[in-house]
Amino acid sequence: MTDSLILGLSSGSSCLVTCGMVMFPYLMAGSAGVKRIAIDLSLFLLTRLVIYFILATLAWYFGQALFSNQVVRNVVPGILYIVFAVMLVWYSISKNRNQECPAKIVKTVNNHRLVPIFLGIVNSLGFCPALFIILTKGATQGTLIQSYIAFLAFFIGSSIWFLPLPLAGKIRKKEVLKTIGILATGLAGIIFMIKGITNLIGGIING
Amino acid sequence: MKKVKIIAGITWAFICLILIIILFPGLNSFSASAAKLPFMKINPNYSGGEVAQQLIATGCTLDIRKPVFDGLIKKRNKGFVQLDWRGNVPDKIVDTIDYDLDNKPDFCIFVDRDQSKTVLDPINSKVRDIIISTPTSYGWAVRVELIK
Amino acid sequence: MDNALTSSGMKKSFGRSLLYTLPMFLITFMFMTGGRPDFSRPASALAMVVTFLFVNILYFLMHYTGKTDKFRAILFIIFALSLSFTLINNMLETRNSMSFSQADILECKIPFCHLVIPMMILPAAFTNSIIFPGSIIGGFANIASMVVLWLVATLVLGRGFCSWGCFYGGWDDGFSRIRKKPAIKKISEIWKWMPFAVLIMVSLTAALSLIPTYCDWICPFKAVTEFEQVTSVESATKAVIFVSLFAGLVVVLPVLTRKRTQCGFLCPLGAINTVSNKVTPFTIKIDKKACTECFKCVEVCPLFALSTEGIKEGKASVFCSKCGKCVDACSKNAIHFGIKGVPSCTMKNFSRNLFLFVSFLFMSVFSAGSIINSLQSLLNLIF
Repeated sequence: MTDSLILGLSSGSSCLVTCGMVMFPYLMAGSAGVKRIAIDLSLFLLTRLVIYFILATLAWYFGQALFSNQVVRNVVPGILYIVFAVMLVWYSISKNRNQECPAKIVKTVNNHRLVPIFLGIVNSLGFCPALFIILTKGATQGTLIQSYIAFLAFFIGSSIWFLPLPLAGKIRKKEVLKTIGILATGLAGIIFMIKGITNLIGGIING
Repeated sequence: MKKVKIIAGITWAFICLILIIILFPGLNSFSASAAKLPFMKINPNYSGGEVAQQLIATGCTLDIRKPVFDGLIKKRNKGFVQLDWRGNVPDKIVDTIDYDLDNKPDFCIFVDRDQSKTVLDPINSKVRDIIISTPTSYGWAVRVELIK
Repeated sequence: MDNALTSSGMKKSFGRSLLYTLPMFLITFMFMTGGRPDFSRPASALAMVVTFLFVNILYFLMHYTGKTDKFRAILFIIFALSLSFTLINNMLETRNSMSFSQADILECKIPFCHLVIPMMILPAAFTNSIIFPGSIIGGFANIASMVVLWLVATLVLGRGFCSWGCFYGGWDDGFSRIRKKPAIKKISEIWKWMPFAVLIMVSLTAALSLIPTYCDWICPFKAVTEFEQVTSVESATKAVIFVSLFAGLVVVLPVLTRKRTQCGFLCPLGAINTVSNKVTPFTIKIDKKACTECFKCVEVCPLFALSTEGIKEGKASVFCSKCGKCVDACSKNAIHFGIKGVPSCTMKNFSRNLFLFVSFLFMSVFSAGSIINSLQSLLNLIF
């Protein structure tokens, strides 16, 4: 659970940086007071949670089908962790990061009440390296509950960054926070790379 | 205002001078005071936990510590219990342990100190595996993995 | 005296330099001997005398030449070397190995160092305990005294701790001085924020796992102190990581860039000390009138504390460790040590003298123990 939480915390920072500034106006547009903002943000986060639970279920069943052998269960995820972790580190380097948030597509949604839900779907299905890593983790868990717990921890870690969104305008030194967030994403990638290498070597030795 | 800032700055600088001068001669007493702060104790995951029972036989003392499940906020699902043999520790240790004080044996442990071999025979289903079994300066220590 | 040494403008006469050294002489004598010098053991006595004279000569030269960084660095580097020598020597004598065993962890015999402090904070707040297998009080490098030392030093010196107190900083400071010119000149400023990212990650991982993750996985200085026995894939991976980080961030990159890359790019304690730079009364000030914007100071700064924009505004950033390199490099005396609240260019001498006394006193007493031990061991080896 620890590494899923950390992955969520570190990837959430970079997600906020690319998507947050797009989502914020849509979340706030037409809002009337704190209650409306809270409802919109809650709908957005709830939608993300539902999508993540669906992904957790799919990942676990997929993993059960593919990773039946204990050695395969260590070696294949080990390789996947390394590949996706390298992608995460690469992603954290600003020129490689796609500056366009997929949430921009929300412009096509006319009904404002559906916007938070639509944003939640688009944001959670934005296939970034962090999501690939958590999908790999979900696929390798022993039970479905453990897969849900991993995705829940990832959700909590990534959602914390969205909570202060309504106050975004008041935060000074945004550039510094953005830089630190991106660097933390890269570090999370390195952590998973090491985890992947350790799993891989352990799997090879035990196999 | 400018004068106030200058005086404040120089005053703080002199306070720092005094702090550094008294730091080293006073280090022992400052450390002793710091050691009394509530958080200044080693986490049970490292210290092994408090001693719950002490069994003495033929000059050898067995300390059975309280099970440790400490986490950051709540108890963890996996933990351990630490056993310490001190004093006149025999070359071959054979003990049956009741760590939860319910008068029922939980596991048997066999330690061959010469061969550095340790065998665990779980009786209670909460007892899992050996985490550490090692010679120490006082005798021998074993940590046994438990689940809640 | 050679005029090339007088460019700092802080040079004093021989007599005045001796006078300024006298308080340091007396206080270091008291602190090193406890007021009762013991000459019963020749090796120990000789080591103590040599160390005592050595630190006071360095302090004298700081005043006499007006230069700070060169003499600070000599003691700083020797401190780092002597501490590693003392630790390794001690481990080889007691354990016959640089690695610590599971028994050492179980018995809480691991010496504490200040780099653990960032990881202790959250767990201490939540669990009311220290997540480190060391001793709270008593013994070598116990937790209580290391925490007190660091706390006072960081309040007084701020990030100056990184150049006047940290017994690891001397390693990359030393390697950064090997080349005369950097082989790699362009380094992105973004990397100076990395210690904050490391601080966040190690604090979180340590809090969640209750393991001091920086020490367990990353710390490059395990290569020159002690490390976990390699008995598994995980411990082997850890060994590869810390050796690689030592080779890369402490040796190779400092040599190539002439910057302190481990301190500037990795150390999470450096990030905390950066914050405490706001508290310390001592700072670096820039005289905008005297400054010709040659930016030589920016080039020599080992921790990216100076920038062209900052120089134009007349200030150093919070990353400044007050090492004095920029002060010594400036040919126009436009940069000087200062005290917060005191306007730039006023009380320059007073500010420098006060800062040097405070910082050098801390460094000399903190380092004396390990330098004396090392000299003693060497003397015992030779004779």
